[in-house]
Amino acid sequence: MNILQSISAAVAIAVTDLKLLLRDKLDAFFTFVFPLIFAIFFGWVFGGAGGGETGKIELGIVQLDKSASATAFADDLAKLDGFHVTRFDDVAKAQDKVRKGELVACVVIPEDFNAKFEDLFATGAGPTVRGYVDPSRRGETGLLEGRLTELAFKGMTRSFSNTDSMKKQLAKARESIEKSKDTDPSRKFVFNTFLTGIEGLLADNARRAAKDAGGGKAPSGGLGAGMDNFRPVKIELEQLKRDSNGPTNSYEVSLPQGIVWGLMGCVTAFVGTLAVDRQRGTLVRLMCSPLSTSTIIAGKSLAGFVSCMAVQWLLIGVFAFAFKVRVPEPLMLLLATTCASLGFVGLMMFLAVMGRASDGSGGMGRAVVLVLAMIGGGTIPVFIMPKIMQTISGISPFSWAVRAVEGATWRSMSLSEIMLPCGVLLAIGAVGFTLGAMMFRRNASAH
Amino acid sequence: MLRLTDLRKSFGPIAAVDGVSLEVHRGEVFGLLGPNGAGKSTTISMAVGLLAPDSGSVDVNSQGPPTSHRVRAHIGVATQALAIYDQLTGLENLRMFGRLYGLSGTTLAKRVEHALDLVGLLPRAKDLAGGYSGGMKRRLNLAAALIHDPPLLLLDEPTAGVDPQSRNNILDTVRELAKQGRTIIYTTHYMEEAQRLCDRVGIIDKGRLLCVGTVDELVRTHGGTSLVRVSRGEHEDAIETDDPLRTIETAITHGRDTQAATHPITGIRIDRPDLESVFLALTGRRLRD
Ligand SMILES: Nc1ncnc2c1ncn2[C@@H]1O[C@H](COP(=O)(O)OP(=O)(O)O)[C@@H](O)[C@H]1O
Ligand SMILES: [Mg+2]
Repeated sequence: MNILQSISAAVAIAVTDLKLLLRDKLDAFFTFVFPLIFAIFFGWVFGGAGGGETGKIELGIVQLDKSASATAFADDLAKLDGFHVTRFDDVAKAQDKVRKGELVACVVIPEDFNAKFEDLFATGAGPTVRGYVDPSRRGETGLLEGRLTELAFKGMTRSFSNTDSMKKQLAKARESIEKSKDTDPSRKFVFNTFLTGIEGLLADNARRAAKDAGGGKAPSGGLGAGMDNFRPVKIELEQLKRDSNGPTNSYEVSLPQGIVWGLMGCVTAFVGTLAVDRQRGTLVRLMCSPLSTSTIIAGKSLAGFVSCMAVQWLLIGVFAFAFKVRVPEPLMLLLATTCASLGFVGLMMFLAVMGRASDGSGGMGRAVVLVLAMIGGGTIPVFIMPKIMQTISGISPFSWAVRAVEGATWRSMSLSEIMLPCGVLLAIGAVGFTLGAMMFRRNASAH
Repeated sequence: MLRLTDLRKSFGPIAAVDGVSLEVHRGEVFGLLGPNGAGKSTTISMAVGLLAPDSGSVDVNSQGPPTSHRVRAHIGVATQALAIYDQLTGLENLRMFGRLYGLSGTTLAKRVEHALDLVGLLPRAKDLAGGYSGGMKRRLNLAAALIHDPPLLLLDEPTAGVDPQSRNNILDTVRELAKQGRTIIYTTHYMEEAQRLCDRVGIIDKGRLLCVGTVDELVRTHGGTSLVRVSRGEHEDAIETDDPLRTIETAITHGRDTQAATHPITGIRIDRPDLESVFLALTGRRLRD
């Protein structure tokens, strides 16, 4: 057996164990389905406290300019799909809501909006709309930025390379706007203002192009260069660091709970699989093969690791996309889940081998794991436990997985902060794995 | 091919294997015959390196003990406890075991198909092993032992709990494997199987190997005399003899002279000594109690 064959054998063992897990309906249910249902259910039950329409991005609008063009812009903004808009009079108040995590962003329409807007075609620079965003909600703010830009360029997205054809297009556009019945008057006004401005720009461009013709430039004098700087409304986003480290929605709390049950499902499934492996001749059969004990342990551990990662990212995926759980640093979450998986692989090894020492069916291991999961945040989230219980929960590896996952989600921990839970998980993994592997080897004494 | 030297293994106070020495030659089918608890499985476990002997040594093909991975690659084992994943199909089971021996790609596919074909499971290859009958599971267990084409096969009670059809398939398969020149060690507590299948037989009881030889040798040395039973209606004479044919001849001629008219012979049966008799002679007990 060379290294590659050993790796392929370890992978074969892992694939087999994963197949067994998925094909055992009860194991698969408790590993993947139950945690999901549990976490969604609890997120929903406690969701009342979170407030707001779920599924919509909470957006604040502060309209400092009461002019028609500013109102038209604000109304367009308020009508955007996927946003739930609250209006504020005071910039500071809206910003505060962003800092508290109650709003994903707030958009400020400045006092000089209309004045700048009217100057647009004289100066080429329109008004600046400022957005204040929660940096931990990247997905949503990205969406918002896109929508704002879209709004700003509404009706302005066509580009033309030829001045003459553009003039014709503009005339046609003006005509169709006039004819159109379902364009509301405020928008017609905006369009017409834009079109007039563009005609002015075109004339300007044509003059400049004619002047430059001697310098070898194309006489047609396209608008390309002019369009680059042309921004009817300028968007500036500024990040507001969150000052309160609290979960902003109940699903952020129930996600780690789901992860606890998912990890528990993995551990019990694998302790069970190994117990069955031992009762049936399959483990013995593995030992008869030319594989080293390390290869067998590696295969079993790989299966455990993959299942832990899979259940965690299944939950994270569902919760990030469907329930707006913030993932400020995906790499940090990858670190947290990897450490949690490694920690629990160690726990699995240890419990699987201990299971043999006690009753052979893994029943005792299952009970221990259940208790650890319950005090580790599976039932009551650790951070709302009384201080004394929080301390006690520290003996449960599950509580450290919760801390790590929370750190990488709503707690927005720094790398050095998250090192504590991750380090504890790795230590649990190392100790469990070493003890488990040692005892496993001793049982397989002939090797 | 396989040499066991004074192997001993105790579990607490029980001496499961108590000084077994044995040499199995290349290409022979060697039967290890003994009742339940005799120490057959323990012997096999030590022979394949699953159990470390308390003392004594195992040598495979003059390459040393089976603790080395290289040596284990030459051994195929069908353990008494079924080594089959119920939640995998027959095909998946064999693929998995093949990969443990470094097989992959078309080699693996060919070996898997060959093994399935040999044990007659090809039509059921894609069904979950959990749905197989006891006999089919045994056959799959045997196929898993063959997957890497090993020259040395250790089959521990390969017919335990099997229907007659599967039993015949398994016996045929073993014969076929023997024909291919493999060395086979076959443990059983069915003396018929040992008698039908094995070139040489070792009888084991209470951890001790009582005798080793061809079936004929064992029967001749330890089996005792044949018994000729002559019935005349209700009446039966049992005559112990070394030469049953002569005994029958005399019984017939003698009977014609004296009793023929009143008590004609209604039946004649010869009970030849077999391995059962050998076991009885050596232990004072029957094989199957
Ligand atoms: N792991 C074990 N622990 C304790 N006793 C065992 C163990 N394995 C076998 N034995 C005992 O050793 C003896 C021989 O068992 P075994 O080799 O399985 O016999 P066989 O295979 O011939 O039926 C039996 O008395 C059995 O109870
Ligand atoms: Mg046995």
